[in-house]
Amino acid sequence: MKPLHARYPFLQSAREAVEAADVDLVTVVREEEAVRTRALDRVETALDSGRVGAPHRRDRVELLSYPVARVLVSLIDEHVLTRKYARAEAATAHERFEAEFTETTELKSRDREQLSIRTLLAEFGMTEGVRETDDAYSVAVGTYLAYATEERGDEWRLVNRTLRDGEIELSESELLVLIRQAIRDRVDEGLPLSVPDAIASHLDAECEQIRERLADLDLTRDIDTVVPDLFPPCMTALLDQVQKGEHLEHHSRFAIATFLTTIGMTTDEIVELFQVNPGFGEEATRYQVDHIRGKTSPTEYSPPACSTMQSYGDCVNKDDLCEQISHPLAYYEAKLDDADEEEIIDWRERDETAQS
Amino acid sequence: MHERTQAYLRGRFGDHYRNQSIDPPPGANEREWGYVPWTEGPGETYSRHNAMIDLGALEDFLARERPKHVYFSAGRYDNPGATTMNEKGWRRSGLIFDLDADHLPSTTPEDSYAEMLADCKDALFRLLDFLERDFGFEEMQIVFSGSRGYHVHVRDEGIQRLDSDARREIVDYVRGIGLEFDELVEEETVAGLGRKTPAENRYLPTEGGWGGRIHDKLVSVLSEVRDLPEEEALERLQEYDGIGEGRAQAAYNLTQERFVEIERGNLSAHAVFAQLARQFATEVVAEENAQIDEPVSTDTNRLIRLPGSLHGGSGLAVRRVPREEIDDFDPLVDAVPETFTNHEITVEVTDGGTVELGGDSFTLEEGVHTVPEYVGVFLMTRGRAEKGEE
Ligand code: SF4
Repeated sequence: MKPLHARYPFLQSAREAVEAADVDLVTVVREEEAVRTRALDRVETALDSGRVGAPHRRDRVELLSYPVARVLVSLIDEHVLTRKYARAEAATAHERFEAEFTETTELKSRDREQLSIRTLLAEFGMTEGVRETDDAYSVAVGTYLAYATEERGDEWRLVNRTLRDGEIELSESELLVLIRQAIRDRVDEGLPLSVPDAIASHLDAECEQIRERLADLDLTRDIDTVVPDLFPPCMTALLDQVQKGEHLEHHSRFAIATFLTTIGMTTDEIVELFQVNPGFGEEATRYQVDHIRGKTSPTEYSPPACSTMQSYGDCVNKDDLCEQISHPLAYYEAKLDDADEEEIIDWRERDETAQS
Repeated sequence: MHERTQAYLRGRFGDHYRNQSIDPPPGANEREWGYVPWTEGPGETYSRHNAMIDLGALEDFLARERPKHVYFSAGRYDNPGATTMNEKGWRRSGLIFDLDADHLPSTTPEDSYAEMLADCKDALFRLLDFLERDFGFEEMQIVFSGSRGYHVHVRDEGIQRLDSDARREIVDYVRGIGLEFDELVEEETVAGLGRKTPAENRYLPTEGGWGGRIHDKLVSVLSEVRDLPEEEALERLQEYDGIGEGRAQAAYNLTQERFVEIERGNLSAHAVFAQLARQFATEVVAEENAQIDEPVSTDTNRLIRLPGSLHGGSGLAVRRVPREEIDDFDPLVDAVPETFTNHEITVEVTDGGTVELGGDSFTLEEGVHTVPEYVGVFLMTRGRAEKGEE
């Protein structure tokens, strides 16, 4: 097992190396405490600091801790953990190769196998979509969008890029950001794995520890979470009107209903929420929400973009974050992301606790 | 709609489908098919989640069922007939753009049908400009929707697997949503002659993207200004916000002495140039964006009207329009189905008015009329007439 594999365990060649070495994962988790510990460390560090921690001094332990960490994440199977873990693996790899690429030649250790941008592109099937130019890279728009959409910041929005004949020019460091996303997808791929009992049974202690850590952080939620405090101003205003029993124009009702549907509320929950308003008959609301959901129409609708909200006069009380986004959902997702470490209570759960 | 009207339309739609060969979309077997049958009463029922395998060969199905509307999914699936998206197993999806007169800010309800369609065609050209020059798409099919606008089906390999967030970026791009002038600008360090500290020059891209569009507009407006007599030029410049006499003079001088900087997009050439560019950005977005219907393009499971089928709300054909024929395409003539052009029928008009169709204009009052069949079909499908007795 090569040092390169230990540093970048998500590589196809690393996986092959593990397979070729005929390692039995059951034996590993049963007998190699060092691997278990380092795997746990990977996951815990991901939660704490968004990285996967310092490598173990033995390449074998370091490499094997990666599949075991993925097993741990699978056993817990919480969306937020999986997301954070994949992000942390990618962030760590990104830091490592960025450092390697900027090291001057003299500093490069002679005998360490190096990763090149070209290898990375080939690894993720991006070779066709990326063309080297004089001092930068030309990236096919499909490739760009496949990896850049998750990046925050106006400079990543396609609309602000010089798109020409299907290509966008990127600097090397921008290209590395796309590769980071490709790594994230690779780590995430196939999770949660279905883990045989023979393996799971040796990881009880580790799982327990991660669960505790998660409970402390209280971030077991994702976009399917209804947290009105984090709603964009427009939706807060509409919801207010609904609950005050005021009349809503069709487009406003459509906006709030699609928004609530998209963030994960069920038809029943929305109907219940709208019940306080005598203007919304239960049947009509149910019909409309089902329609939006695509049950009774050929389409699943998504909430309107800010531009549409604006043209209908539904965009009110814009705040700073509004300036950075173009869609109310993006606002909400951004808030959820920022609030990662804070305490968030899904109001549906809150209601349940209140009732019980 | 009376039973007789419905039976008539269904029968005639059937005649049309029997005489018409329809090219199914690529991968027809992997797509979900949907249709709306002719039914009594005001509501419509959709039949969704059909797989080709259940419907049978497309042409047979159409001739047999004679549906009011026919759709296929932009998405392709492992099990197109499954009822939930999970079971369907999404594989890929073409990218669809929908331009509908209803979504164009330039149209008003008072506009005639022909005017709305003309506006829509302008928007189509703006959209195609983005899709061709910026996105470099090559496999595109342009379709008249059979009613109030156009659809563009993009089938390039590069977009097939994009998720809906990525597609939203494409939508935002053609609509100019989220455009930030400062993000368009590129900075370049110039090692100045005799300068100790190198200067940063700010450039607007001169080709490609929104930057290129804004630059085009700057060059065209400022070259007009350059060629005007000085006094007129100054007046013209002062029409822009925040441009007084002094700045107008500075801008004018720039056009006279250093026009090449304007051509290079060098915003650092003079503050007034940067100021104008920023203002132009807003204008260019307003004028050149293509107001497509967003949810259609971001939805990877969307059902879309089958090209070649008939639109049950107009009796017009959903027609493919080759790229080079768009200019000459007149939907109100060219989308009139052959089948309905050969004879006259009797209808009882319940909601009169003027109908422009087939290159003619018909003004009909309420009552019984004998009209070309396509006019009758148009009125009946719109609910403005019932079939009369022959
Ligand atoms: S900018 Fe967008 S998110 Fe903010 S209030 Fe307006 S519509 Fe809502």
